[in-house]
This record gives sequence, C-alpha cells and structure tokens, in this order.
Amino acid sequence: MNTIQIIFSVFLKEYKINLRNFNNVLTFLFFFFISIFVFVFAIGPNKEILNHTGVGILWALLILSSTLSLKKYYQDDFENGSIIITHMSGLSYELISLIKVFSHFFFIQLPFLISLPIASILINLEIEKISLLLLSFFIGSFILSCLGSISSSMNLLNKNNFSLGSIIVMIFSIPVIIFSVGIVNSEENFLPLLKILTGIAFIFFAITPWVSAFCIKLALANK
Amino acid sequence: MKFLINPNKFNKFTDIIIKPLYLLSAICLVVGLLFSLYLSPNDYQQGSTVRIMYIHVPSAWLALLIFFIMTIYSIVGLAFKIPFAFIVNTAIAPIGTIFTIICLITGSLWGKPMWGTWWVWDARLTSVAILLLVYLIIVFINYSFTKIELKEKIVAIFIIIGSINLPIIKFSVDWWNTLHQPASISKFSSPSIDIAMLIPLLIMTLSFALIAVLISILRIKYEILSRKDKIS
Repeated sequence: MNTIQIIFSVFLKEYKINLRNFNNVLTFLFFFFISIFVFVFAIGPNKEILNHTGVGILWALLILSSTLSLKKYYQDDFENGSIIITHMSGLSYELISLIKVFSHFFFIQLPFLISLPIASILINLEIEKISLLLLSFFIGSFILSCLGSISSSMNLLNKNNFSLGSIIVMIFSIPVIIFSVGIVNSEENFLPLLKILTGIAFIFFAITPWVSAFCIKLALANK
Repeated sequence: MKFLINPNKFNKFTDIIIKPLYLLSAICLVVGLLFSLYLSPNDYQQGSTVRIMYIHVPSAWLALLIFFIMTIYSIVGLAFKIPFAFIVNTAIAPIGTIFTIICLITGSLWGKPMWGTWWVWDARLTSVAILLLVYLIIVFINYSFTKIELKEKIVAIFIIIGSINLPIIKFSVDWWNTLHQPASISKFSSPSIDIAMLIPLLIMTLSFALIAVLISILRIKYEILSRKDKIS
C-alpha cells in the first residue's frame, strides 16, 4: 500500500470508531444545548440582553464543550498501542497527529457547525449574522482541534490531573474567542478580523504536528 | 560562564557568591525602601500613592524577565539536551508567579485611588493576568506528572508556546488605547520620569533582582539535591 492509501484507511478507521460511538458526539452536543439553557435561565429571557451577550456566550460554551472531547483524542490509541502500529506501517507521528486533527475537526466539530443555527435561534441572533457565526466557527473550530491535539498529547501520561488539558486549551483559545466574537459583532467590515483569525489558524496548523509528535514520542519513551 | 549550564560549576560558583549576595541584597533593600518611602518627593497629582510604583514596576519587570529567562532556558535545553536548563525552569517558575501576583495586587491597590476601580479589562492588565495564568499552569504541570524526564520537557514546550504572551504584554500599551500608561523608562537617554524618582526606582529594581537571584540560587540548589537524591 502506498502512503495515500494508508492515510485514507486510518481516516476510515477514525470514521468507523466515531460512528460506533456516535452517542459520544451527541453527548457533547447535548452538553452544549443544556448549558445554553442554563445560561438563559441565569441571565433571564430579556431579548435585548440576550442579543447583546448571546454570541459571546455561544463561543464560550463551544470552547467548553470542545474541551470535553479531549480525553478521547490520543488516549485510546495510546493505551491499546494502535498508534505504534500506525507508525510501523509507515506514517510518521507528525502525519498521524495531522490526521487526528482533521478527523477531530470533521467528526466532532462539524456536528457543532450543523447545530449552530438552531442554537443561534435560541439566543435571538439575526439571520444575517448566522452566516458570520458559521464562518467564524468553521475557522475557529479548526484552531480548537489543533489546540486539543497539543494539550491532549501533552497530558498523555498525566494520570491524576487530567483537567489540566482543558485549562491549556482554554488559555490558548483566548485570541480565538476575541477575534471570532469580533467578527460576528463587527458593524460593517469584518475582513481584517477574519484575516487575523485565518492567520492564527495557519500558525497552529504549522506548529501542531511537530509539538504533538514530540509529546507523543516523549510519552512513548517514558511509558 | 559554564556555571549557567553545569550543575557542579553552579554549586561551586554560588557557594562563593551567596554570602556577599545576602549582604548586598539586604543593604539594597534597606537603602531602596528608605529612598522610596522617605527621601523621594510626592507626585504633584498622585500625592503619596506614587510610592506604590517602587514595588509595582520592579516586580512587573522581574515577572517578565523571569519568563524570558525560562523561555531561553527551555529552547537551549530542548535543542542541546542540557538537563540543568530544566532544573532552572522548575526552580524559578514559582518565583515568577509570586512576582506577577505582587505586581497585580499592587497595581490593583494603586488603581483604586487613581482610576477609581480595582480592576479594568484593559489590554495591559489582561495580558499580565494571562501571564499569571500561564505561570500557574507551569507550576501545576510541575506538580502533576510523576516522571521527571517527561514533565520537564512538556513544561519547556508549554513555556515556548506561552512566551507568545511576552511581546503582547510589552507592546499592549502601544497597540491599544489603554488606561495603563505607556512605558516611561524605555529610553534611558531621555526618560520621562524625574531623576528624583528614577534613582529610588532603580535601587528598588536592583534589590528586587538581587533577592530574586538569591531565592533562585537556593531553589536551584535544592532542586539539584532532590534530583540527586531521587537518582541514588
């Protein structure tokens, strides 16, 4: 088999695993919607306040619910050894982590993208702004996937304090939330903010494979 | 300069300098406190509260400087595989945390009489608060892994990624319109601070730096000893 076929088959494996555990993804979505309800109960159903704060709340909850999926990122492959098997079939660890990032983006973050219009109806967002929200989430969720890859590969052997991983994701997602909420709330011109957000996405796309592969190698050496 | 990367040479060198360092830092602290509390003039607008500056500014500088040193040590340690660099990282991270906390608390105490609020979500203040969070995460990582070889490298990677915050802190007062004033002492040829206030500030900075060096020497020595103990 050549490399393309191997990459494709690894991707197919990820797809099958995520399809079999589809209730996992549904649980993340359920968490997202439940927390929107909790927020609305806490703030009160005032339409203007919801309009004002809604996008920020949505983005904060999206980051929170994307930290839920961190534990499944590399941990299962690392425990049952399939990450070594994949490496032995000719893929470098950098490529494996890149595949992991893309599969996390497709199978965990895209359901959120699909459910976002419903969520934005709940907070009274205008129809014109929903497309901006979807655009900002499409780029921002890729950054979140990269951050998840970095933090979960850092915490592979961290048995007693796994919530550190979500803290690492949240502290590096500060620029993401600033610029994404800025895109949706911008009055007329959102292109400069969009360019900055895309730049951040490319930075993380560049550094994530190296950092994750370094951490995975460290964890394998110290297992 | 071998003592910066070699534990044995570091021990030998610091055994020589540690007693003069105790004396010097004590003298500097006493002289600096005397200058800053009694011998320096009041500000014509801020009155006596300007004296908070003599604690606030040196601790902010040292918090940034310690993170910068940690960044250099992590890059060097990862690139050339020097274990002493990771010892330094582990040892001086709590010192930076304490200086950041001092900076934030004194800034908040200064902000209440001057700006009328304890805290604003201003660019400079927020980025320093993020620096505190990064420091705390470094300390948490240090305590939550059992294997030292794994932990120290992960801490080094995290420090390198987190060091992106340093230029944001430095230039936040120039990039955004902030409540916090821009740097007064960035240019030593013509600083926009009066010489009567500059001298106590520099003495206090020197004494803070000496105390930081002293505590880090003690902590690095302790770290070396505890690692030797774990190996044997």
